[in-house]
Amino acid sequence: MIKDRRVVVTGIGAVTSIGADAAEFWSNLLAGKCGIRPVSLFDAVPYRTQTAAEVGEIPDGFLSAAEKRRMSRADRMGLAAAREAVEQSGLDLSSEDPARLGVILGGGTSGLLDSEDFFFHHLHGKKARPSKVLNHMPDAITDRVAQHFGAEGIKSTITTACSSSANAMGYAHDAIASGWADVVITGGSDVLARLTYGGFNSLRSVDPEPCRPFDRERKGLSIGEAAGILVFEERERALRRGAPVLAEFLGYGVTSDAYHMTAPDPSGAAGGRTIQAALECSGVNASDVDYVNAHGTATPQNDSAETAAIKWALGDRAREIPVSSIKSMVGHCLCASGAIEGVATVLTVRDQLIPPTIHYENADPACDLDYVPNAAREGRVEIALSNSFAFGGNSSVVVFASPGR
Amino acid sequence: MSSHGVITGTGAVCPLGRTAPEFVRRLFAGESAVRPLTAEEKDGLQATHVARCDGFTPQPEIPAMKARRFDRGSQFAIIACAQALAEAGYDVSKSPSEIGIALGTGSAGAGALTEFLRVLLVESPEAAPPFHFPNTVANAPASQVSIELKLLGPNVTITQKDPSALNALLFSSIALSSRRARAMLAGGVDEWNRYYALGFDRVGALRGEKRQSGIVQGEGGFAVLLEREEDARGRGAVPLAAVTGIAMAGSPCEPYRFTADRETVEKTIRGALADAGVEPSGIDLVFPSRNGVLDMDAAEDEMLRSIFGKRPRSVSVKDAIGEMAAAGGGQLVAASRAVSRKDNPIPEGERPRRVLVDSFGAGGNFLAAVVEAARVPAA
Repeated sequence: MIKDRRVVVTGIGAVTSIGADAAEFWSNLLAGKCGIRPVSLFDAVPYRTQTAAEVGEIPDGFLSAAEKRRMSRADRMGLAAAREAVEQSGLDLSSEDPARLGVILGGGTSGLLDSEDFFFHHLHGKKARPSKVLNHMPDAITDRVAQHFGAEGIKSTITTACSSSANAMGYAHDAIASGWADVVITGGSDVLARLTYGGFNSLRSVDPEPCRPFDRERKGLSIGEAAGILVFEERERALRRGAPVLAEFLGYGVTSDAYHMTAPDPSGAAGGRTIQAALECSGVNASDVDYVNAHGTATPQNDSAETAAIKWALGDRAREIPVSSIKSMVGHCLCASGAIEGVATVLTVRDQLIPPTIHYENADPACDLDYVPNAAREGRVEIALSNSFAFGGNSSVVVFASPGR
Repeated sequence: MSSHGVITGTGAVCPLGRTAPEFVRRLFAGESAVRPLTAEEKDGLQATHVARCDGFTPQPEIPAMKARRFDRGSQFAIIACAQALAEAGYDVSKSPSEIGIALGTGSAGAGALTEFLRVLLVESPEAAPPFHFPNTVANAPASQVSIELKLLGPNVTITQKDPSALNALLFSSIALSSRRARAMLAGGVDEWNRYYALGFDRVGALRGEKRQSGIVQGEGGFAVLLEREEDARGRGAVPLAAVTGIAMAGSPCEPYRFTADRETVEKTIRGALADAGVEPSGIDLVFPSRNGVLDMDAAEDEMLRSIFGKRPRSVSVKDAIGEMAAAGGGQLVAASRAVSRKDNPIPEGERPRRVLVDSFGAGGNFLAAVVEAARVPAA
């Protein structure tokens, strides 16, 4: 891709099971802290498993009681993370042209937890409160963020399941690179819900214990929830205003596996093509890649197929570089996973520190890369990939570079 | 002129027809597929009308055994996209990585989602049918299209209220200009679902016995094949139309409120005209956003009269097929065929050269596009 306009990250925010802001999230990632614990948001007893990476207190004190009542859990988490990211960026939004400020998020569950209550009441012949379904659509959070910050520019919610927020970041990049916006608030917020919890359980894809990505004994994923928000900005203007440049977003790859609705291509060719597209878009070679933040769901199929995909695309380089899955700590945050892993990848290139894959004990011959087992490490990371794969074969790989590169 | 690309094929499965030519012929004949809800559909709703793909079967395109694997939205999308590719004469197998898909939707996955949840909530989580879960995702239709038609390029689904399909068009345009693809299937898909209808009805979104202002829900699948003009010409295709203008503007408000913001309506329409490099006098036909939300409709009507100096010639696509996130896809299909030289139901002297498509939604989402007749290359 020939680019006149480059895109940098000038702010990040995070609300996760291991930290209610980006700093706490990051220090706990590096400490290898696990956020997967018993579910409290709904009664999980009737389900096959009872654990998830649930967010504790949401730092939404800036919202009035009336505002909170109107909002879903995903709205409140997303707004809190967006506020943190915008604050860090140092942008004075009141002096920005609102038409050049966009919001592009990935979404899925949004207000589902509330609409499940509505549906439950209706199905049991009780009166269901209409306000419970107001935030059902995944675009609600995107409109909320635009409303909160007065954004009037390009606005979209990408709904490609588990690659939603990775695709949102990619689209945010393209929107800036192609001149449709100067600043885009991007990422995603996705919360626990009975549908997704029950769904992955019905597919027998959930590990009753905290998930173990890339481990031979891995039994499936742990579901999580999170909000990860990034402020993307056109590079020249960010430099001009002396903004804190945390990383550069070099580009992304977005492809269809065209293989199967739920299973990954075990040969690695499908995921490998996405990585290759991301490298091409970013103007870098496989040998330039220093780190891969893996999709690493800990399902038996994903981790071996992803390992094959990394080898398919990076060749010999795959064995020389670290690959880790933070899902071992924050679970699979579904439509927000690309965003929260994007935040982690930004911090990796900023600090040259690599978060570990925890709960890793047993080597698997089908997963034979360096997964940074159990302890964070220092390392030179100029260019990092973050992989996201989804139901439907919607694959997306994003590329970040250290700001000094 | 075709800064966003040319349209070389169209597809539609909708309440007004099972193919794009049938839909457009009936639209311009003044037909509407809006009908009263059946007793079964009504079931406690105050809404009175709907537009559905009554009698739809996925055959002959999708064999019966195979069709069972797809939810209704995926069936609509697969057939509409296959029609668009066939009309465009596009051979995906030549370079599958260079063609992608972007669909807008508000309800894709609704059937699978509500059925899975119904069993989970009424019986037990263990009883919930795993078969439905993968189809609960909004991207199921676009992904099933990619699997069935073997597209390996970009693949996204966008949900952004009523104008979601025009959002998908903008994504597609950016994907082409960013060299992510040479061709994109752009459009939308929605399926009517009784529980979604219940939700919309209870929050006051539907027109009916108790409410004069509100939408009539529609359903269907729509696709256009958008290509870079040089690629389309290079492979010998004759474009039906060109997309020359797209504009998007926001008017910050609560996600579920319609804001009759005249300034933003005007900014959006003028933005699309400016992007296309045309004056209002260059527009011969408008597909308004008009969807029955009365104050929004009044704001649009007023701004169209103000911009054009009189009420422009207009045809309301949503009066014919209902409102949905995919409706912009129907407007795009109709606009492409209305300006084309192929199977055009409009008498030759009355054919528009340029069509303005408006698509405004709740949450302060406003988009507009300009679709015009494709250039005739010098012989």
